[in-house]
Amino acid sequence: MMVRRACIAALVAALGFGLLIAGAHDRLAAFPIDGDQTALPPKTELNEDALDKPREVFRSEIAGGKSYLINLGNLAFGSPSILGDVARQAGMSCGTCHVNGAGNAKFFMPKMSTRPGNFDTTGSLFNPKANNFVLDPVRIPSLRGARTLAPYGVDGRMPSLRDFVHNVIVNEFSGPEPSPAILDAIVAYIQDIDFLPNPSLGPGGHLVGKTSESERRGEALFAKPFPHDPGLSCAGCHVPSGAFADHQQHDVGSGGLFKTPTLRNADFNAPYFHDGRFDSYDQVVAHFDRIFDLGLSAQDRRDLVAYLTAVGDGTLPYEHDGAGGSLKEINEFASVLATAIPAGDKDVVALAVDTIGHELRELTERYPDRKNTSVSGGEQERGHARTALKEVVLTLRRIDMAVTEGRISDASADYRIYRSLMAAAVPALLAGAEPWSLFNPAVHDQHYGALRQVMQSRHTSQ
Amino acid sequence: MIDVRVAGCIVLLLLWTGMRTADAAPLDEAAERYRPYMIEGIGDALTGARALRERAAAKDLAGAKKAWISARAGWERSEVFTAGFVPELDSRIDAWPNADSGFHAIEAKLFGAGRADVESDADALVEHLNNLHGKLHDMALTPQGLLDGTVRLAYEVGESKADGGESRISGTSLDDMCNNVAGIDFAYRTIFADALKAADAKLADTVASRIEQLKASVAAPDLPHVDIRTLRRASEELVVALQAASARLGLPRPTLEALSR
Repeated sequence: MMVRRACIAALVAALGFGLLIAGAHDRLAAFPIDGDQTALPPKTELNEDALDKPREVFRSEIAGGKSYLINLGNLAFGSPSILGDVARQAGMSCGTCHVNGAGNAKFFMPKMSTRPGNFDTTGSLFNPKANNFVLDPVRIPSLRGARTLAPYGVDGRMPSLRDFVHNVIVNEFSGPEPSPAILDAIVAYIQDIDFLPNPSLGPGGHLVGKTSESERRGEALFAKPFPHDPGLSCAGCHVPSGAFADHQQHDVGSGGLFKTPTLRNADFNAPYFHDGRFDSYDQVVAHFDRIFDLGLSAQDRRDLVAYLTAVGDGTLPYEHDGAGGSLKEINEFASVLATAIPAGDKDVVALAVDTIGHELRELTERYPDRKNTSVSGGEQERGHARTALKEVVLTLRRIDMAVTEGRISDASADYRIYRSLMAAAVPALLAGAEPWSLFNPAVHDQHYGALRQVMQSRHTSQ
Repeated sequence: MIDVRVAGCIVLLLLWTGMRTADAAPLDEAAERYRPYMIEGIGDALTGARALRERAAAKDLAGAKKAWISARAGWERSEVFTAGFVPELDSRIDAWPNADSGFHAIEAKLFGAGRADVESDADALVEHLNNLHGKLHDMALTPQGLLDGTVRLAYEVGESKADGGESRISGTSLDDMCNNVAGIDFAYRTIFADALKAADAKLADTVASRIEQLKASVAAPDLPHVDIRTLRRASEELVVALQAASARLGLPRPTLEALSR
């Protein structure tokens, strides 16, 4: 939940919904946390089971490969261990809200959210000491391009990303004081998350290529001075040549001074404004028209929306979640062991084993056991997939035990086994079981539909 | 992409590399000592299920819930052997999430919908448990099968319960876990502890201490107070120790899923 308060406010903020999540909308919503025996409020929706996940683009991958520091940061970002008790118990990490470094438009937590996609970072649940006794949720921001978007926080109160990350971990989520190395690593990871490329944007942020008449009219309107205050324009704050932000705070009639959010990739960042009050660009444009008395015609509004949509676009914003993606991420996490084991770095090994083990156990549950009524067939294949993943979990645990006891050569031998397993055998077994897994949309819907139906009966009776 | 069967073989070969075997210990008699506990556990589940059927017939929702919890306790203590030795009945009795009969179908009606009209479901549960109970006197018990079941259950106890766990509707997942751990503890002490102590006293101490850690981990007032990270560590370290123990006991490496060997 790192730069939760970053971005937002001025003009738009991000959109998202309509266009790209169309595929996800076709699926049943993921099963929320429920019952009275969880660390989170009943009916919390983490959207962890979505079949479409935001695509990650990293600056370093374009340059050749991620460093140890970035992989360590990625690991820590995905680890509940760095946060406080409640988040740890709930299995929540920074990545729960900032899925693959993007946002989480479906995240909803009763008493902490007023709508899907926002969250009160100063509520009582995660750190009672941080409670300001006001329900003031902020939109969960995307971290794409965060390195270019200082200052941080919805109100832009923190110039340093490192300080902001520290505040989120220690104050908002009551986590233990992170080591300087972990803090540096998380910052390096966030700074590596790039914007999705947008071929429609040329040098200086101008629209290029095949653009529509409406988009071109919208671009002109965007740069046009406001009729009653010629010193202002949309482009004056959302500077096209500067990632569509100005790194300043403004009062745009939403209840205070808030930082100008970037418009890049904003198609995928709904809801909009600092508190996520708006679902669409239409609503955002209507707000500015009203507050600044812009006198826009219906066509003007449509043109501005067309322009914002073009600016906020990105290539391949989502990708289907599958075993391949999960294993890739897990292997990136595990790459830190190649350095940490020989160094006898117990803390990093423990963090890696804990985090990867959690991920692997979650992945195992994507292959239903034979008592699950949602799927028939593929029993052997599912069993092999589950066995392989469990063996990997235990191999990692042996590494942790060996490093803790100073048996570095044993740990290194087990790490070689881990790499051998993950190189071919495990991917093959998972692929063999995929038709009967929760990565199959039909099985996924059957499974979560059944769970939801069962839990709904509980609420109906209460 | 390599063939799935080849992949499975690679997994086993890699994991068996470096493992050594010892002479098979005389565990068959020890496995027989587990039989009375097995019969008692399923007997308790059956008694609870019969009470549940009776309370359902009387439209006594509170009494039916209490009987369900009682039946569930006996069942969860028995999970060391159910998945491996009676997989078909296990699937009928404990299917989820939306089974048409069995514990979780009844749980959804009693605790979810607040309805006591579970007589036909309770009938089926009694029939299945009675069927199982009748098999237990003559069922062939193998030390390997019981070690497999103990290891599988030890691993399963460490799974995340952040979503409320298996019995989330009734809010009794922690009870399930406590009864699972009791079943693991009893199976190990009754069947394997003495033989392992004779073969490798240090490893036997390790297994015993890991079981104690598991018991301590689930000794919490409610599920949200179970330290999931500590629980998972204890679960995995116990499984690792039992995998090592299998070689010292002269048994093949235990399986982690109830698959045919």
